[in-house]
Amino acid sequence: MKKNIFFVIAALVAVTSCTLDKTDYESEISTEVVEHFEYNEVVSINKNNYQIRIEALNGTLYKGYNDIHLTITNTQTNENISSSNVTFLPINTNYSGNNASCPHQYNLNYSTENDYYSGYAVFTSEGNELENWEVHISFTDNGETYTVNQDIIVEEQTNMNLNMTAFTANDGEQYFIALVAPQKPKIAENELVAGIYKYNQPSNEAGTFPDPSQFSYTEVSNYTLLLDPRMPEPSMGNHSSPNNQDLTQQEDGLYYGTVNYTMTGNWTLNFRLQNPDGDIIKGTEVSTDFTPGIEGERSELHIDILF
Amino acid sequence: MKKSITLVILLFVSLFTTAQNTEKEKKKDSIVALDEVQLITIIKKKIETDMKMAVTVDEFLASSDNISFIKRGAYAWEPLLNNMSSERSTITIDGMHVFGACTDKMDPITSYVESNNLSKIDIKSGQEGSMHGSTVAGSIDLKRKSTPFNLSKKWNGAYQTGFEFNNKQFFNLANASYSGSKFVADGSLAYRKAENYSDGNTEEVKHSQFTKFNASLGLAYKTSELSSVKVEAIYDEAKDVGYPALPMDLWLSRALITSATYKQLFKEGLFRALDTKIYFNAIEHYMDDTTRPENLVHMDMPGWSTTYGLLSKANLKSNNFSSEIQLNAYNNLSTAEMRMYPQDRSERSMFAYSWPAVTTTFAGLSLNNSWEISDKSQLNFGGALGINYNHSKYVEFNWIFHPGTPQEKTRILPSLHAGYQLDIKNFNFSVGGGYGHRAPSVSEGYGYYIYNSFDRYDYIGNPDLKNEISYEGNASAGYKDDKFSLQANVNYFYIENYIIGRILSLGSPMNYQSVGVKGYTSLEYSTLFNFSLNTSYTILDNLHWKGVLTYARGKDDNKNNLPFIRPLSYQSSIHYKYNRFNFQTSVNGDLEQINYSPEYGEDQTPSYTIWNLSADYTFKIKDYKTVVQVGAENILNEHYSTYADWGNIPRMGRNIFTSLKFNF
Repeated sequence: MKKNIFFVIAALVAVTSCTLDKTDYESEISTEVVEHFEYNEVVSINKNNYQIRIEALNGTLYKGYNDIHLTITNTQTNENISSSNVTFLPINTNYSGNNASCPHQYNLNYSTENDYYSGYAVFTSEGNELENWEVHISFTDNGETYTVNQDIIVEEQTNMNLNMTAFTANDGEQYFIALVAPQKPKIAENELVAGIYKYNQPSNEAGTFPDPSQFSYTEVSNYTLLLDPRMPEPSMGNHSSPNNQDLTQQEDGLYYGTVNYTMTGNWTLNFRLQNPDGDIIKGTEVSTDFTPGIEGERSELHIDILF
Repeated sequence: MKKSITLVILLFVSLFTTAQNTEKEKKKDSIVALDEVQLITIIKKKIETDMKMAVTVDEFLASSDNISFIKRGAYAWEPLLNNMSSERSTITIDGMHVFGACTDKMDPITSYVESNNLSKIDIKSGQEGSMHGSTVAGSIDLKRKSTPFNLSKKWNGAYQTGFEFNNKQFFNLANASYSGSKFVADGSLAYRKAENYSDGNTEEVKHSQFTKFNASLGLAYKTSELSSVKVEAIYDEAKDVGYPALPMDLWLSRALITSATYKQLFKEGLFRALDTKIYFNAIEHYMDDTTRPENLVHMDMPGWSTTYGLLSKANLKSNNFSSEIQLNAYNNLSTAEMRMYPQDRSERSMFAYSWPAVTTTFAGLSLNNSWEISDKSQLNFGGALGINYNHSKYVEFNWIFHPGTPQEKTRILPSLHAGYQLDIKNFNFSVGGGYGHRAPSVSEGYGYYIYNSFDRYDYIGNPDLKNEISYEGNASAGYKDDKFSLQANVNYFYIENYIIGRILSLGSPMNYQSVGVKGYTSLEYSTLFNFSLNTSYTILDNLHWKGVLTYARGKDDNKNNLPFIRPLSYQSSIHYKYNRFNFQTSVNGDLEQINYSPEYGEDQTPSYTIWNLSADYTFKIKDYKTVVQVGAENILNEHYSTYADWGNIPRMGRNIFTSLKFNF
């Protein structure tokens, strides 16, 4: 009988060890992308008796879409300002001294519930030695207007799921598409959220710098972003997925649709931008053929993501 | 490999040491023979065909007239029972459920055993096969050799070697057994190595090589006059197996199949025997497509399947009434992955589960009764009730095509059958019917982008599929006298919710060679008809003739043909015995496939005829019976492929085989 036990143990040792290890799916999914949920301070500015704090996810501003929370505290009374008009203008200065901005919310909204001002900025580039970002903030308190300038650091967005693209459409206007969500897609139907913005060409001469009319951007209304997600790698043969939904605008101004990822890997979101008249103003329709061995053709308007 | 060698050595060390111990103990114990009680008798078949004594399990199964095969190469053929694919039958080893770990069905259970560790194969058609679990087509139970307890201690052994010229297959099969009054041990070893085979045009069929090692061991100990315990294990390892019909080959598959059985017999009373077995088996299967230069991309598709189970059987007998009650319970976990690499292997381009860690738990109670109404007539009836539970761990993969489908699914699987047999003088008749449900298989329910190289579609499972419900009728009539016998069998299946792949308009393919995506869906119904005619005639005392004719027809709910239905096939063989010589010759073939199914990816297969011939001679070396056999298959070197050859790969051309067997 002892020998039988010996045999059983020998058998168990052989069984419990697989020749090749199974993939650790949970870590497979989680290592690729770091998700951020916490709003932390990016920068704090002291101006007269006021402290201005800018908060963003992970305490960092990235290239692409950033939700911004701003609080202004009167350091004397230790109370937050809530009834002011707060403006927010990011300005990029490049090595030759040219100024530009990026899609942003100029007039910030006050949220009573959270006791902060909120807005967004879609930074179109990272800050480096050659170009530099600063924000111009103005607010009024007790009938007096204050303005502050602050250099900020815009970092590279390593999460490709929050990529952005800028382009000039067939109507001659300059557009921006920035992905807002999901930060961390799943193998599933994911709600895809994007912001679509347009640069408003100034109609008047530039006033004193920084003249907001020279740096005006708006969310476009009632456009449709047609979606065709595909895996571009030659090995994937232009693979796509079922049940995708084009992006349409919802009440908060952002565009919502559905993207279905069937597996992990590199994906391209092929877009076509349709204006309210139903005209395609940017983007090409991609082939739906299965073409193994050939790099998938991308729409002229697309965003690559990695998942 | 090292690990497996150690295991085998351990097995044998334990075998021999235990054998010695028992020899000493034996003398003290009284000697009582433990008879095998088998109430429902089944004709024993030796694992060899008329033509060939050293067959593979596949070749042996092929000699049965209700089994046909899907072949993806020279190895691991998928058995089709009553012209239905293997999901519709329960394939078990001594009643143990074992599930293959390959999503492409490259490893049917029959590939994990070897002919020298089996004693017979029980094939039951339709619901009569529901004893081991729910089924539609029937059951195939592979019976491992078991050595009875013996009054005087006895050693037995056999060694068989041979060479097949076409694919340079060299094989060695050895088995040995020891039986005493208290202790029995048996073991077997088998090793086969084959290179690519050549087709009828003498062209080499690339990627058709295989290497297989198989070992088995059984130890039984008599715990009392009427009870015994037994532990058994089968280890199988296949390496470097080519699948010419698939875009990838097998790097390694390993199976360990273990069980422990307790058997109790009763001399009196209603209960006559109680047989309880617990079992565990683990299978791993790793593919390799790097040997195929046409693949610009490489995909690893490893699969794992682990099953725990319990089987308990009671035999009851009272006068002319006997019953068999069996409890089956098992839990299986099937996981399979897809990982793709471009030619640069360090760059991984995708990951997904083709089986997203799917658990299947089944528990069922089966009953089979036999009532001998008179000497001439007998009524068999029975039924089964099972619960089947599925759970998909990574359900997000199922949600891609079936949004919001539940992660768990429980199904109730009932089954009923009855049959009446009547013998009048030389004639025999039988008529029967059955009703039964089956649950979708893991691939049908939860598969994800499983590439099918027959129709070149990627298949998606559907967790919400309904149970497949089968209504069947069968009948047979026969005549038998001293010289002549004729037996005709028919059966007809009406299968509701017949599961089959249909093209999905949504989704795009993923696998390299595929052309589209199919989803498993239920047809409203389909019908299947099988007919076979067996006849034999004794021309002279030493000259026998045998003939078999089979025909089948399968249709879907639009009266279109179902795929993989065997066309009219025939087999005719003559056996002649002269002194210690035996000569056999046979002709077999299929007619042209008229009722093929282009909807399901089939093309028409032309007719073919194969002629085989073999001779053997039995003699004695000292006291050992020795048989030597020489023969040839496909003598005319016909270039052909059958209706079920995946991708129309040509079958083996002329093959001369030799074999030598010693019995100790």
